[in-house]
Amino acid sequence: MATTADHFQAHSEDHGHKHEHDHKPAFFARWFMSTNHKDIGTMYLIFAIFAGIIGGLFSGMMRVELNEPGIQYLDTFARWFGAVNPDFNSTLHTWNVLITAHGLIMVFFMVMPAIIGGFGNWFVPLMIGAPDMAFPRMNNISFWLTVFGFFSLLCSAFVPGGTGNGAGTGWTVYAPLSTSGSPGPAVDFGIFSLHLAGAGSIMGAINFITTILNMRAPGMTLHKMPLFVWSVLVTAFLLLLSLPVLAAAITMLLTDRNFGTTFFDPAGGGDPVLYQHLFWFFGHPEVYIMILPGFGIISQIVSTFSKKPVFGYLGMAYAMVAIGVVGFIVWAHHMYATGLSVNTKMYFTAATMVIAVPTGIKIFSWIATMWGGSAEFKSPMVWAIGFIFLFTVGGVTGVVLANGGVDDVMHDTYYVVAHFHYVLSLGAVTALFAGFYYWFPKMSGRMHSELLAHLHFAVFFVGVNMIFFPMHFLGLQGMPRRYPDYAEAYAHWNHVATIGYMVMASSLVIWFVNIIYAYVAGRRAADNYWGEGATTLEWTLSSPPPFHQFETLPVIGETAHH
Amino acid sequence: MTFGKYIHAPGRAVASLGLAAAAALTASVPAFAQNAASSAPAAPSALATGAAEGAALASGTGSYTPMKPVEGVGMPVDGGIGLQTQYSKLGEYGAWIHDGILMPIITIICILVLVLLVIIAVRFNRRANPVASKTSHNTLLEVVWTLVPVLILIGIAVPSIDLIAKQYKPAPEGALTIKVTGNQWFWTYGYPDNGDFEVISNMLNIPGSPTINNGVREVGSRPWDGPAHLEVDNRMVVPVGEPIRLQVTAADVIHSLGVPSLWLKIDAVPGRINEKVLVIEKPGVYYGQCSELCGAKHAYMPIAIEALPRAQYNAWVLTHAGGEIDGQKKPAAVPAAAPAAAPAADASEAPAGEATAEAE
Amino acid sequence: MNGDEGTMAGTKNHDYHILPPDIAPLATTIGAFVFTSGMVLYMHDMPGGAFVPWAGLAILLASMFMWFSKIVKEAHAGDHTPVVQLHQRYGMILFIASEVMFFVGWFWAFFDFSLFPSELAETVGGQWPPKAIEAVMDPFALPLLNTLILLCSGTTVTWAHHSLIHGDRDGLKKGLWATVLLGLLFSCIQAYEYLHAPFGFGGNTYSSAFYMATGFHGFHVIVGTIMLIVCLKRAYNGDFTPRQHFGFEAAAWYWHFVDVVWLFLFVAVYIWGGWGHPIH
Ligand code: HEA
Ligand code: HEA
Ligand code: CUA
Ligand SMILES: [Cu+2]
Repeated sequence: MATTADHFQAHSEDHGHKHEHDHKPAFFARWFMSTNHKDIGTMYLIFAIFAGIIGGLFSGMMRVELNEPGIQYLDTFARWFGAVNPDFNSTLHTWNVLITAHGLIMVFFMVMPAIIGGFGNWFVPLMIGAPDMAFPRMNNISFWLTVFGFFSLLCSAFVPGGTGNGAGTGWTVYAPLSTSGSPGPAVDFGIFSLHLAGAGSIMGAINFITTILNMRAPGMTLHKMPLFVWSVLVTAFLLLLSLPVLAAAITMLLTDRNFGTTFFDPAGGGDPVLYQHLFWFFGHPEVYIMILPGFGIISQIVSTFSKKPVFGYLGMAYAMVAIGVVGFIVWAHHMYATGLSVNTKMYFTAATMVIAVPTGIKIFSWIATMWGGSAEFKSPMVWAIGFIFLFTVGGVTGVVLANGGVDDVMHDTYYVVAHFHYVLSLGAVTALFAGFYYWFPKMSGRMHSELLAHLHFAVFFVGVNMIFFPMHFLGLQGMPRRYPDYAEAYAHWNHVATIGYMVMASSLVIWFVNIIYAYVAGRRAADNYWGEGATTLEWTLSSPPPFHQFETLPVIGETAHH
Repeated sequence: MTFGKYIHAPGRAVASLGLAAAAALTASVPAFAQNAASSAPAAPSALATGAAEGAALASGTGSYTPMKPVEGVGMPVDGGIGLQTQYSKLGEYGAWIHDGILMPIITIICILVLVLLVIIAVRFNRRANPVASKTSHNTLLEVVWTLVPVLILIGIAVPSIDLIAKQYKPAPEGALTIKVTGNQWFWTYGYPDNGDFEVISNMLNIPGSPTINNGVREVGSRPWDGPAHLEVDNRMVVPVGEPIRLQVTAADVIHSLGVPSLWLKIDAVPGRINEKVLVIEKPGVYYGQCSELCGAKHAYMPIAIEALPRAQYNAWVLTHAGGEIDGQKKPAAVPAAAPAAAPAADASEAPAGEATAEAE
Repeated sequence: MNGDEGTMAGTKNHDYHILPPDIAPLATTIGAFVFTSGMVLYMHDMPGGAFVPWAGLAILLASMFMWFSKIVKEAHAGDHTPVVQLHQRYGMILFIASEVMFFVGWFWAFFDFSLFPSELAETVGGQWPPKAIEAVMDPFALPLLNTLILLCSGTTVTWAHHSLIHGDRDGLKKGLWATVLLGLLFSCIQAYEYLHAPFGFGGNTYSSAFYMATGFHGFHVIVGTIMLIVCLKRAYNGDFTPRQHFGFEAAAWYWHFVDVVWLFLFVAVYIWGGWGHPIH
């Protein structure tokens, strides 16, 4: 999808920081009042990294507790959340708070801000040759709403929930545990957290769709758009159409909790399963929201380092559209155990499996892109290849779960935890790191160490597989999720997983060292530091790009091809 | 008590990786050693306390001693990596679909992707292939990698949908109904067809851990106790080999009745009654755990289903105040003493029954 | 606009709207956050619950006022080039699309309850409307009137639009006045209806679905009315030209959206949802 800028002058030496026109606002105005997509993107990335560290620390707390059967550390953790003398129930409640916070943070405050807010903001305008986003000011409020949504979630941890401090409902916030089962303000803070972050994401989605449809450089037709841009476009539609349904659902939770409605209260004729339908109508598209931009990133990287155009560009683009569309009609595969009717269960089984087809097209097209290429295994490429394999592993276990009759035994076990961490923690996060190494020098102007980046990958790869592969075994053996304590028979693989966490954590240290290295000793990055394979518009700009790029729009010529 | 160190029968391990998955059903399942019928009569005299026991036996009311579970049957095995062995027809079918169809297919797909990636690393790196081809289309290939997955998925869907259809076969007219109710944080089992008595089932406390259920004994204090975290004071006792209609609901928040070795998982949703038909093939004790987040002690409300031959099931029923067989109480039922008669078996007043048992 | 200032680097040489830094987004967010946190305090009778939500709302509205005033100023400054106006159109359509999905959630709940009324809950008793609802509103009384009012207001807003396009400022104002008044009338009748409804707010599915769905619709009517009032004020200020008046169009689109949602509510919730039930 090389959108070669045949005729293009905006970038040149004299366009750098020396120029008066490229002046940046003073500190406060620049960072608190930003209307610049790159600055906002940077803030999103920093925020996401920060949230990722917190979410990762929470998962570390979970892993040490699960290291062996029995309750060892939860009491201490409960005290961290402000409990004075936690009784056994509030100690156990702390577990539910940890997993809830971990799930919500990773989903709403790490992956989404990083991959859409961060990379999307940075590179969608650059790749389509636009000077900024369509609504620069709204772009900013999207960011701040995310941040304050996070604050609201943090508030919830320190106020009473049900049996202890914090919201212990799971990230799915199922009623009636989240309504009558959790008196106290914690869950309300959690609900508002999602309202705020959700509003931010909806506005972000409007912004991306408008930008992509209206601000492509002259000559860049939809079918010449880089696949990353395609992926963000599809993602934005998923956000736009699914998040409002979540907003309605959690508003019902709120009124059930506080104003006497009975949407989910059986005593008034309400139906807890209705909440699940509403949640998953959002929740399933949400999982594709988290992975599609990752697909986009992988497409760019694979093409760049194979020095080949993406194989089957149109198929790739429309596969994402297909995933997005089908993603809206498969939601009840999360509800196989709720007592669906037989026809419903059969329908959702069949519909869910359909998604494997367009996803397969993507996997095989990436492979075909590399096939016959002249590949350089620079760090982004290594991460991308890791992604392709790990995502496949996570995807195929999804196909196992898709079978309603088989899911009966897997549902709510660690098999599901294994599945979604393979697609998220090993899929989406790997795509994030791939994108990070691909674009970090472009964003910062400094080269990272390739050696450290490879090392980071190797250690991370070993670590996360050690954490999550054994979870398949635990799940098949029947270990339920959301358990702080378990039968002796599950001890072995849990122990392995906890060791894996330590390995994974050390890889993150390598990553931090690498970032510090880049700023302290890294070489200055050239405009196009990956060379001939990198053909999208961001490589025509300086590294970092000028504060305002493309003040004269680039023109995409006829010869552009994918 | 610990149940069996690593059961790593090679056949089973390999099967779980999908290479010889069909073998999983037969390999290394410990023989069903324990015969429930023979173990039953032995225990009560040793455990029941004097007067009550005498009364129960003399009256001819039911007598019952919980069954001792068999290692590795109806429970996870230490370090295990595959599905638990199944003890229902549907479970065997489901396990076959998983081990025999799904696992091999997904393993092959993963290996295929891995092999292709390795080939790329070896053959299409910069040194081995300095000049990149420019190929970006191949209609035949694209059609193939669209159609082949479609065919594979159809292959999966056929048995999978069939399994669902079978799971929803309604229970025959006269099937025994059991009402299962999830509560924070225990289960109750009602027996409307047997006089409508109710069994309250709490997890046993674990020695050395904080008390989870007040007034409930510790696990391991009876010879028939299964693993910690899984064993309960009063099991859900059911007749073996006949269809049972489970009607599952909840009293407060959502719980889920999940028993891996019976391919059983059905949510207990307040305000709804979910039905599921269960046929257990062999006598035995089958353990499961609550499988929907239900608050603080979600991890501490296991399920233990004990399947007994009909005669012993009937005897068990009659140990309960109000227990009836075919609408009849047994003739000379001893009214007051009966509840205490069978240690650890009375359900309607668990703590009271326990108190007696504790005298052991 | 400065579209023709040459191709010198560092000079804006396109029609897009590049904005200076602005505090409004952060201020609005803080308002929203104070409001939601205040609501938590309020709902749990915690200290501050009585005034923090109001403070939040005040910050929120003030910052939004600041924000929208700037947009109007920028429009006057000529920043809204044709392509920027196109952005605004897309933005508004997409926003309305998301609002539609929001209402999908409420209708989903309504149809779930009405098509599958709970057998187990005594208040419902397996029937719709539920047992607890002794009487429903007569759809062909005030709700029908309200339907006519909204439909009528849809035409008056179109009248205003036509007048605007044809340079008839007087017609514009009259049309807007009529629309605003009809909108206010709708809200008043709705409020009257709520006060005299034969059933309370909570306690059963009918009340929940009814009040939340119509309530959110009512809230949208109020927002739409405010948008129209702003347009009216701007019409008096001499804003809007026959060729450029997106602020007006956005309000009109929003108004039509609110109208359509009402038609669904009227048909589904009022007529079908209370069919055959005693009316009050
Ligand atoms: C990035 C996030 C992500 C992604 C991409 C997916 C992708 C998929 N998921 Fe997953 N899923 C989650 C995140 C994700 N999921 C989460 C978070 C949960 C748990 C939520 C909770 O309960 O908390 C979950 C749970 C979940 C369930 C419910 C399990 C349960 O609770 O009982 C199911 C069931 O159908 C499912 C199915 C699938 C399927 C079929 C896909 C497919 O899209 C996968 C398709 C990909 C492939 C198949 C691999 C590549 C394809 C080929 C190489 C072609 C050849 C393949 C075949 C012919 C099979 N997922
Ligand atoms: C994106 C989502 C995501 C990610 C990345 C992770 C990461 C991890 N998770 Fe998971 N997890 C969930 C989403 C995620 N998780 C969800 C939704 C649940 C269900 C919650 C529920 O039941 O309600 C869950 C539940 C869950 C459980 C089950 C708890 C239970 O059921 O009782 C466990 C247990 O071990 C676990 C462990 C871990 C571990 C060890 C990691 C480690 O991999 C963490 C290490 C950290 C990272 C790998 C992140 C590093 C990233 C950055 C620092 C940012 C990078 C940014 C840029 C490059 C820009 N998680
Ligand atoms: Cu009951 Cu979990
Ligand atoms: Cu899903």
